[in-house]
Parts: sequence; C-alpha cells; structure tokens
Amino acid sequence: MSPMLIIAKREFRSYFDSPIAYIVICLSFFALGLMFFFLNGGFWQLDRASVARLFESAPMGLSFLVVPVVTMRLLAEERRSGTLEMLITLPVKDSDVVLGKYLGALGLVLILVVSTLAYPIIMFKWPWNLGPLDAGPVASGYLGMILFSAAAVAVGLLISALTESQAVAFFITFFVLGALWLFGDLASKAGGTLAIFLNYVSFQSRLNNFWRGLVDSRDVVFFLSVTALSLMVAFRALERRKWA
Amino acid sequence: MATDVMIQANGLTKRFGVVRALDKVNFEVKRGEVVGFLGPNGAGKSTTMRILTCFISPSTGSAKVNGSDVFDNPLEVRRSIGYLPQRAPLYTDMTVWEYLKFAAEIRGLDESTFKKRLKKVVEVCGLAQSLGKNISTLSHGYRQRVGLGQALIHDPPILILDEPTSDLDPNEKAEVLRYIKEIGKDRTILLSTHNLAEVEEACARAIIVSKGRVVADGPLDQIRGTTGRVRYVVAIDEQRAEAGNQAPAAAQAQEALERLSGVRSVRELPTDESAHKFELSGAQDSDIRAEIFRLMVAKGWTLLELRRDAQSLDAVFRDLTRGDEKLDRGAGWAAANDDDEDDDDDDEELDAKVSTGTEPDDEDEDEDDEDDEDDVKSKGKN
Repeated sequence: MSPMLIIAKREFRSYFDSPIAYIVICLSFFALGLMFFFLNGGFWQLDRASVARLFESAPMGLSFLVVPVVTMRLLAEERRSGTLEMLITLPVKDSDVVLGKYLGALGLVLILVVSTLAYPIIMFKWPWNLGPLDAGPVASGYLGMILFSAAAVAVGLLISALTESQAVAFFITFFVLGALWLFGDLASKAGGTLAIFLNYVSFQSRLNNFWRGLVDSRDVVFFLSVTALSLMVAFRALERRKWA
Repeated sequence: MATDVMIQANGLTKRFGVVRALDKVNFEVKRGEVVGFLGPNGAGKSTTMRILTCFISPSTGSAKVNGSDVFDNPLEVRRSIGYLPQRAPLYTDMTVWEYLKFAAEIRGLDESTFKKRLKKVVEVCGLAQSLGKNISTLSHGYRQRVGLGQALIHDPPILILDEPTSDLDPNEKAEVLRYIKEIGKDRTILLSTHNLAEVEEACARAIIVSKGRVVADGPLDQIRGTTGRVRYVVAIDEQRAEAGNQAPAAAQAQEALERLSGVRSVRELPTDESAHKFELSGAQDSDIRAEIFRLMVAKGWTLLELRRDAQSLDAVFRDLTRGDEKLDRGAGWAAANDDDEDDDDDDEELDAKVSTGTEPDDEDEDEDDEDDEDDVKSKGKN
C-alpha cells in the first residue's frame, strides 16, 4: 500500500477511535431529520415524490458543522502536538501527507453523504413506497453533494494547514464555508455584477443545478478546481515549514 | 573512504527571520560512531537534526546522509534514518502495536519482516507489557520507548535521537542509555542532549554547539583538553605564620604564587576566613601542588587549604557555551555562572580558535576569557 493510502487509513480510523465520528454521524442524522421533515413546513407539506429537500439541507449541515469539525484537526493538531515531525520524517512525500489526510477526512464525510441514501430508499423503495421517485435528480443531486464535499473538505484541510489551533481552524472553516453557502442567498437580494459574482462563487448556487437534475460541466469544473486549488495551497503551506 | 561517512554536514546555516539558528555548521559522523550532540537549549541541536531528517531545509549549506543529499533525495535519506524527535510526539489515539505497525507499513516492511523486527524492538525497548496499551495511557518514559521503537523498527543504519532521555526518571534514563549503547554497537548514532553525564556514559565522541556554531568536536578526552587547564585553590593564613615568620600581605602572596613555574594566572577569591584565598590556574598536564607546598615552607607561611580541581566535561561545556542564554533569553544559564562576566566577544574569539582546530599548544593559550581577564587584572595590580 502506498504511504498516501496508509496515512488515509490511519486518519480515517482515528475518527472512529475517538468519539468524534460517532458524535458527528449521530448529530448530523438527527439534524438532517429535523430539517427534512420539519423545516419550512417539512417534507409532507411539499406533497411531492422528491428528495430535493435532502439536497438542500444536507450541504448546509456539512458546511456549517460537519466539515469544520472533521477537518479542523487534520494538520493543525499534528503541528501543535509535534506528531507532524514524526510523520513527515518517515519516508513520505509532503503530497502523501496532504492527500492522505484529505482522503481520510473525505472518507468520513462521504460515509455520511452515502448514508443519506437511506432517505430515498426507505421512503420510495422499501419498506415504503410513497410515490414514483424520479431517479435522475437523485443521481445528479448525489453527484453534486459528492463534488461539494470534495471541495469543502479541501477548503477545511487548507485552513487546518495554516494554523496550529484546532479552534481557529474550526471557526475560520465554519466562516468560509458558511459564507460560500450564504452567498447564494445574498445573490438573490443583491443585483448586477455583485449578484453574478456571488452566484459564481457560491456553493449553494452551484449546487442548485444539480438538485434540479442538471449536471453542468461548469459546475463540475468549479468544484474540482476549488478542490485542486485548495489542496495545492495546503501542500505549499505544509512545505513552508522547511523555509520559515 | 567516502562510504564510511554516514552523516556529513557542510556549512549548514539556518535563519528563522532575523535569528540565525545555525551558522555554518560542519561535521561528519562515520559508520559505527555514537556521537553526542551537545549544547544548551536553543543552541541549534534540534534544528540540525531536523535538517538532517529533511523536516526543514537549511538556508544555505548542504548535508548528506548515507550518501544521499537532503535536498535532492529526501526520501532516500529518511529511509536510512531512524529518528526520534524531541519529546517523542506520538499519535495518542493508537495503541503501541498499531503505532509500530503504522511506521512499519509506511516504511514498506512486509508482514513477516515486521513480526521479526517487532520481536527484536520489543525486546530492546522493553515494550512487551505495553504493546496493547493505548499510547495516551503511557507514561512519558514509555512513550519515549515507543518513539525509540518506531525509530528502530526498520533496522536503520543511522539513528538520530533528539534528547531521548529528557523527562525520564533516573531509572528510565539509565535504561534508555543502556539501549543506546547496546544498539550503538553496529549503528551510527547521533544523540542530542544537554546532559553531560549521559554523553560520558554512552558516547565516545561529542560535538558541542553553541549559538548555532560547532565550538568543539572530537573524542571526549580531547574536548576535556580543549579549554584544558586545572584550577588550584590556595588559602594562606593572614594573621599567623610559622616559626617567627611574618604573615604575608595579599599582594605579596599573590606575587610569590605568580612566580611559580606552571602558574598561568592568580586571582584572589573572597573569603570569610582570616586568610588570603587564591585561585590559580595551571596547565592540564602538570601538577604544581608540590611547588606550592615548597613555597609555603620556604616562606614560613601557614597553608590552610590546597586543592586541585580537574576540569570536568561539565566545566568545559559551560566554558564553551557561555553567553548563549544571556544572549537569547537574558537569564537562566548565565545565572549559574556567577563569576561569568559574560563577554560575547571573548567567547567568539574562543569559538573561532577552537573550531578552526588550532594545535593543542595554541589551544592552551586560549583559556577561557575569565583567565585572560585575570591576567590583565593581575598585571594591572603589579
């Protein structure tokens, strides 16, 4: 196994060795349930065979809570406790460390994302069948959510690479991801160029198309670019220790 | 033989902003050597080790480990090194076994090699009882052992250990040193510490760094001789003398002592007794106690005390690294040297002379600044 995958495996396992994975998963599902069934009248009021509400609320929870909590310790904690030195002086490349940690954290977030499949399956396949569910928007919605998770975790990793404090990493990630989400709401209130810009960078606006079953290559490229850029900057931030 | 040089540092300089942590550090460590890397806190020991393990890069200069350059081939360098960073930072959420397995996996050890090595490492580091324990529950001494174990798991030809005995209790210290001696029989080990007794126990050679520079490098005996000189303390009764002779005045006694051959400087020490007390310094290889005794008999003075202190490695270390703390922190180390009228210029002069490897005869002349000052003082008095 390559060093990158070994690091990813260790990272992923360590979430489950501590209470963090269980707490995040349980609370997320509780919150998602509330939002899905009760927020803004809830699922029943909509009276439609659609899980669009799931796609609308899940990324919000991911942005504001799950991703900041999952990514805050990735590099910040290693730096603070000094284990980074132990890790990097093993025969691993800096890129192995960044990608390994990224994959470890993304793994946990994706488990969460994939678990939400329980909603469409339980409600529209078995044991209940509440109506004919259009599989298209569900598939594109999940694709969007996965791309979004990839980008959000990369942003969180980047911020964690810039500080030694988990708390600082959490709040900045919370703020940045939150802002990128809320820009979508702001855009509808703002006008002109500002609205165009806000829509352009907002994760929420980008996800909108996916919810409607529209996979636009521009949106796909946007999320992939954010991911790649964040990982590259995180890599540079990690490398900076050599010269600082 | 180039292949015999396992670690080679060439003019390593490291700047952190305006602070120069390392300043043109040069040294070599050969195969099979156990070298103590000494210096006060903040002298640049860890920085050097981090450069050698490719954790950070030098601002200028280069280093080779096992023939691989730290810039060009960091992975190769890290493969041939087992490294224990200061304070053994470990993942506390893993068990000892998991941690060692993790290190072994990253180092590409297969299952059967790992099992074989694990057995050996557990034996050497005394980890048998704690393999299944969570690292977070271990005492610091045991964490240090795990750190050592992870450094040994791939049977590396080179070990770099950064303060492997810090924070250990005396028993654990002795044990870790025993391990190091044991494993050092067939490996190259660079071991940093500020505990001199440990170096004397485990190493045959020491490199002393101070303020980012190598101020001494060589076998321990040679280093002891670097500032080599012996102190004598002489006390003469200031009121009574033998057989009708006059008790001497301080200046008189000092002058007489200075005239003795082999005495390089004389300084009067403060004392509570009604006596003149002097500190003499003489060359390492001579003993002038007999001369002093004869002088006392000839003059009829009453000798109250005569004592000879061989310069310990401890004192050499303090001599070579003085000024570090005052310069960097403004307190601490220097406080231990009350008589140290710290003067960095003198220090640098000494450093330069020692590190350029002047002949031993010349080095005798470079006693530490204190003596030079004394020379000046005593001449002034006469």
